[in-house]
Amino acid sequence: MINNISTIPSDTLLEADICIIGSGAAGIAVALSLTGRGLNIIVLESGAEGFSKQTQNLYAGELADEKLHSPPDKYRHRRFGGSTAIWGGRCMPFDPIDFEARDYIPQSGWPITYADLAPYFPVANRLLEAGEYVYDANSLFNKPMFQGFTSDVLITNNMERFSCPTNVASRYRQRLALADDIQVILGANCTGIRLNNAADRVDHLDVASLDGKKIMVKAKQVVLATGGIEVARLLLASNDICKPGIGNQQDLVGRYYQCHIAGNLGKLTIFGPTSNVRHGYEVSSEGIYCRRRLSLTAETQKKIKAGNMVARLHFPKIVDPSHKVGVLSGLFLAKNFISYEYGKRLKDGQASVSTYLKHFSNIILDPIDTFRFLYHWLTKRTLAKRKFPSVILNNKSNQFTLEIHSEQYPNPDSRITLIEEHDVLGMPRVKIDWRYLPADIESVRRSLDVFVEEFTKSGIGTFEFDASELEEDLTRFGAYGGHHIGTARMGSNPETSVVDANCKVHHVDNLYIASSAVFPTSGQANPTLTIAALSLRLADHLAQKMQAPSQSKHATI
Amino acid sequence: MKVLILGATGHVGSRLVQYLNQQGHETIAASRGRLNTNISGHVTLDSLNLEALTHYLKQVDAVVNCVAGDKHSIGEGASILVQAALEAGMPRIIHLSTMSVYGGHEGNITESHAFDPAYGWYAAAKCEAEAHMQQYATSGGQVISLRPGCVHGPGSHLWVSRPANLLKTYRLGDLGDAGDGWSNLVHLDDVVRAIHISLNLPKKAGEALHYNLAAPDSPRWNQYLFDLASGIEVTPIKRISRLQLKLDSKVLSPAIKVAQILCRKLKMNDAWLPEPLPPSLSRLFDQHIFLNAEKFSQEHGFTYMSYSQSMQESIAWYKNI
Repeated sequence: MINNISTIPSDTLLEADICIIGSGAAGIAVALSLTGRGLNIIVLESGAEGFSKQTQNLYAGELADEKLHSPPDKYRHRRFGGSTAIWGGRCMPFDPIDFEARDYIPQSGWPITYADLAPYFPVANRLLEAGEYVYDANSLFNKPMFQGFTSDVLITNNMERFSCPTNVASRYRQRLALADDIQVILGANCTGIRLNNAADRVDHLDVASLDGKKIMVKAKQVVLATGGIEVARLLLASNDICKPGIGNQQDLVGRYYQCHIAGNLGKLTIFGPTSNVRHGYEVSSEGIYCRRRLSLTAETQKKIKAGNMVARLHFPKIVDPSHKVGVLSGLFLAKNFISYEYGKRLKDGQASVSTYLKHFSNIILDPIDTFRFLYHWLTKRTLAKRKFPSVILNNKSNQFTLEIHSEQYPNPDSRITLIEEHDVLGMPRVKIDWRYLPADIESVRRSLDVFVEEFTKSGIGTFEFDASELEEDLTRFGAYGGHHIGTARMGSNPETSVVDANCKVHHVDNLYIASSAVFPTSGQANPTLTIAALSLRLADHLAQKMQAPSQSKHATI
Repeated sequence: MKVLILGATGHVGSRLVQYLNQQGHETIAASRGRLNTNISGHVTLDSLNLEALTHYLKQVDAVVNCVAGDKHSIGEGASILVQAALEAGMPRIIHLSTMSVYGGHEGNITESHAFDPAYGWYAAAKCEAEAHMQQYATSGGQVISLRPGCVHGPGSHLWVSRPANLLKTYRLGDLGDAGDGWSNLVHLDDVVRAIHISLNLPKKAGEALHYNLAAPDSPRWNQYLFDLASGIEVTPIKRISRLQLKLDSKVLSPAIKVAQILCRKLKMNDAWLPEPLPPSLSRLFDQHIFLNAEKFSQEHGFTYMSYSQSMQESIAWYKNI
């Protein structure tokens, strides 16, 4: 059932077996997995169906450094379906090495392994409409990334798959509406997690609407399924019984805030004909766009003591018109018409009038390609339901830059804190102080040095990068947007972590967190698929705890 | 036991005659005789003809009503069947109904769920037919109504060759939320076995029994369409938008339908025409109806053919036509 708080009388006390706060990828995964198991589930969603400026404003907050991080109300949406309304759809699991404690990365290591999540990844993949759970490109596609390239350390079979991108609210709306054991309440903001006096159980949740209505929810188990920033905010703001904030006795909530280190850099030149390179997307039998990436084997990462990192073949820096590519110039000129989230990495410094003119001339001198690109974009992206994931240019020169996406080292000084200012619901707003460490840059440097070596060794091409510009190249646009990780880290030791291996807040019997907030480390992967897998695992754990069946009567996902 | 089968040249009827004969039953296979048939012992019988129907009913212990066709043959046909059966000494009636009696309802649907005759002409006709069957029971007859979901397997145009043809031309594919409904598949052989079981149930006069029939492991339509596409090797499939489905079913398909009718009237071959995708089909893909068929399995220890086996059989059949 999908309901709105406006239909519920003020001061109502709602009771449930399970209350899920948030209806994004995590919340909906938990709810859909639990339906049909004899439990009574409430999902609280602050927003409504669709975007509302007033609700979104609840996300506004401060930045420590505008150059390093996007404003808190960007890259996340407060609405039914959460940020899946605006995500890019890139799916790939965390690698087995991401779960390991690596002595060269302080505070690394999860209390669970890849094997613990393995049963849930295939379901998560289906839930997000990314198809079959196969991430070894060699088992799906015959054509190699580079003809004749062989290396034991630099691998090209690592792959990403793309969701539509699926908005979980519109995709699963009808399932939620028909489930008689689920009540989704829209317009319902959780404004406080209230513990009992012993601080070992959640007694109830305070819930408010924007127009001032207040209700309460009492649930046997509570799942905080918001994004990584909001998890910290709610835990820290719920400080009536536990003064430092829930789960924050060790001053860990909001700390270790990680995104990813990303940038477009270097010059990869492949010898021979352009047909030797597959730089774009392949399509799987389910119609899923898939793409190979470059990565280092786990053994190599350990050997060179580097964090996990992937690299995709990319096009030249867009701002500099010397690339003479009409499509890129078109993108540059259109950057102000593209949403903040997708336009950000196109806005590269100040451009002079002459730069603009040169971009115009690029378009005029390259009309066929520009037209072909626009036609493809219109039919395969704008009008398509399964969207072509990103701009892929014709490879005319066998020259590429690398788009780097790398793990960030956990850093306690990179953090989310509460500020004095409050939103209209009386909740303190957040300040984001994202930081990176020299170690983050050096890790990428060590990995790229291996890239240089391996391409040279292979004889099929060369790779070079400007070592002196590396930090600038990787931080030009600040933290990679939308990946909010680590603010309620998972661990087996309550002294050094916020939740345990089952995502339960230490010392609180019935409070769980389904969010990238619990990831202790960020890996190379975009977080959504792993968020969904972890949420499905949590759902099974909750069912077991509540002595509900291990499965729904019929598959619900 | 001697059994009269009405609609014996149809998809279910023809397989039923074959099966009952194998099981050692004597059958009278009756149809209006519009379809060519090589069924042995076939008789031409208009089931709307009360007198002729009574004549045959007097010779049997039970009748299986597999009559398809228009509103009239389904609704009025059932009424005449009941009258004839009352006159002929009340043989048992096994009535092949459909999940369409539940119309547009969604959710977990058991046999006691309300009917929805307003959903369309087919639902209305099938509801009317069931009402007549209820009357038969009230008058002391024995009647068992079977309400199958989508009857697929070898020979199924509706649920195998039609979607396969549409997949081939990329008019079906991954439908996203518009293909999230349950497929409620039931293999033809399972329907036939269920009819056979119904014929042999202990006699209870004046009782009407109702059973849904659907394999419990039937996937949602998107999965079914993908598996079918993989089987007939028309991958990669395409994501089909709601808009495309709507245009196809509301604009293109009615035009194809008209062309088909014209061709038939002009005695021209219509095999070259594309497959129509009626609005009722796209509506079904979108309908979250889970036909709960536990009752039949539980009461009669019935196990359905697995989804993978029935899919394999369907694909093998399609590849050979």
